[in-house]
Amino acid sequence: MQYSRITYIELYKIFRNPRTYIAFSVVALVVGLIQLGFYTDGETYLEFGLRSLTDTFDLHGKILNGYLMAYIILQTLLVNLPLLVSLVAGDMISGEAGIGTLRLILTKPVSRNTLVMAKFTAASIYTLVLLLWMAFWSLGISVLIFGADDMLILKSDMITQILSSDVLWRYVAAFGFAIIAMLTVASLSFFLSVFAENSIGPIMTSMSIIIVFTIINTLDLPIFNHIKPYLFTSHMLGWKGFFDIRVNENNEQIIGSIENLPGVLTSAGILILHILGFLWASIAVFKRKDILS
Amino acid sequence: MHIQVDHLSKQFGSFTSVDNLSFSVKAGEVYGFLGQNGAGKSTTIRMILSLIKPTQGKIKLFGKSIQDDREYILSRTGAMVEKPDLYKYLNAIDNMKIFSKYGGLSLSRDEILNQLAVVGLESRALDKVKKYSQGMKQRLGIAIAMVNNPDLIILDEPTNGLDPQGITDIRNLILMLSRDKKKTVVVSSHLLSEVEQIADSMLIINKGKKIVEGRVNDLLNPGKVQLEIDTLNNEEAKLILSSSTWGSSLKSDLSEKLIVEVDRATIQDLTKYLVDHGVGLVGIKSVNSLEAYFLSLTSEHAV
Repeated sequence: MQYSRITYIELYKIFRNPRTYIAFSVVALVVGLIQLGFYTDGETYLEFGLRSLTDTFDLHGKILNGYLMAYIILQTLLVNLPLLVSLVAGDMISGEAGIGTLRLILTKPVSRNTLVMAKFTAASIYTLVLLLWMAFWSLGISVLIFGADDMLILKSDMITQILSSDVLWRYVAAFGFAIIAMLTVASLSFFLSVFAENSIGPIMTSMSIIIVFTIINTLDLPIFNHIKPYLFTSHMLGWKGFFDIRVNENNEQIIGSIENLPGVLTSAGILILHILGFLWASIAVFKRKDILS
Repeated sequence: MHIQVDHLSKQFGSFTSVDNLSFSVKAGEVYGFLGQNGAGKSTTIRMILSLIKPTQGKIKLFGKSIQDDREYILSRTGAMVEKPDLYKYLNAIDNMKIFSKYGGLSLSRDEILNQLAVVGLESRALDKVKKYSQGMKQRLGIAIAMVNNPDLIILDEPTNGLDPQGITDIRNLILMLSRDKKKTVVVSSHLLSEVEQIADSMLIINKGKKIVEGRVNDLLNPGKVQLEIDTLNNEEAKLILSSSTWGSSLKSDLSEKLIVEVDRATIQDLTKYLVDHGVGLVGIKSVNSLEAYFLSLTSEHAV
């Protein structure tokens, strides 16, 4: 009862704060810009990219369609979205400590554990809503503007064609995975916010950790290869796995299949363990914290 | 007894902020908690409210331990710790709603407006807090402290940063809470004259230690008066007095001021003695206040 009441208050504060809408505006603006760019010059851009392919194959249909656009946008935005998630998650406790409202809240009959749980839940719901907003713009609006057709994904060593009837569920799954990935970032920022008394520190530290881990991921050096599986950033792009399709012995696609489902599930599991770990650590630290702000 | 504090201490590393402090607050009284800046008042209040964990000692409110019955105690307590920081992007009603819900209450708009009327903010209830003056924020902070109709209200430096009118408003509000609403009020301040005007009992602390606790009327001796004497040469006047029978009346002071404590009936004799010994008197004023008392106590305990 207390938990749901406080979660409601936390959500009310998040969505009444004008700063919250910066993230929603940025997502809409960036997606809109990408869509505008592809709407005006997309065909030329794709022709250049597919030149080697058109020499060998005869391509029919609408290659630049809403599904491809959504894939391009996801690749671009899911790298930057952690910053927008951190803006709110990193502010949940440190921001209140900074402006002094945390001590006022804790003079009310509120359990510290419940407060942390409620704040984390509110930050998670914000993350979920932000991703749904992104899905609406990147997939919904893109399909409206560019239409729907089979989807071609160009990779360095291969090209994958996904039938239009086999695409939508993959996006639903990919967004589901992205929610887990962004919740991992949210839980990291939230954990760091327990220690700080202004929101800049947790946001900057979260970004720094993600950048350092991402650099380690990209360096193909033996010393780093041992630790890569344990870095949460190694698993954050697992959503792409939903667009890899298994083929049968005749090299034909198996509709509705995922090439490496265990790998995707393992990545999701590792991210969920990180979320639970950061949440547990946040509760443990906050319970003992002296409120000096 | 609404508050019972026994042998309370708090250390931050090697620094002792509160040192073996014990005191008690009776139901229905206004209790002044006095000390200079950094004396340990806020740390003590934060420990009473469980914002900070004590290094040692026991705290009981309403007969229950704050460690064991925190939520029950806080449901009967309202507090404003230092300056009230609120959600500036919301108006007074929304701030009140939020903090009443944290307290487990769901107040109607009319109930909130009634509470804002008590602190004189009903006409500004729809203004965003970012447009409020410091005094208005203080009053809203007190309204939020009272939102769950507590039996005990703890106000930490409620007049900090206020202009004289704001200080008077807060003082009258505290007196109203005590007399009309029968609340127990604990007020910390370094503005000693303020506490003198509103408190029934008081505790003076310095460097985290208790100096004195008791009824304000008992602590201030009404038969004696403290005088601040301004002369053309205070040092010479001090020497003249100290070598006479008036020497025992001289009060130690951190400043260069010449302060004496005498029976009211002997004031005329003292001034005559000074004039007869060639002291150039500029003025004499009564400083028989808590401030003088506080200064004399803290200077005795100064290291």
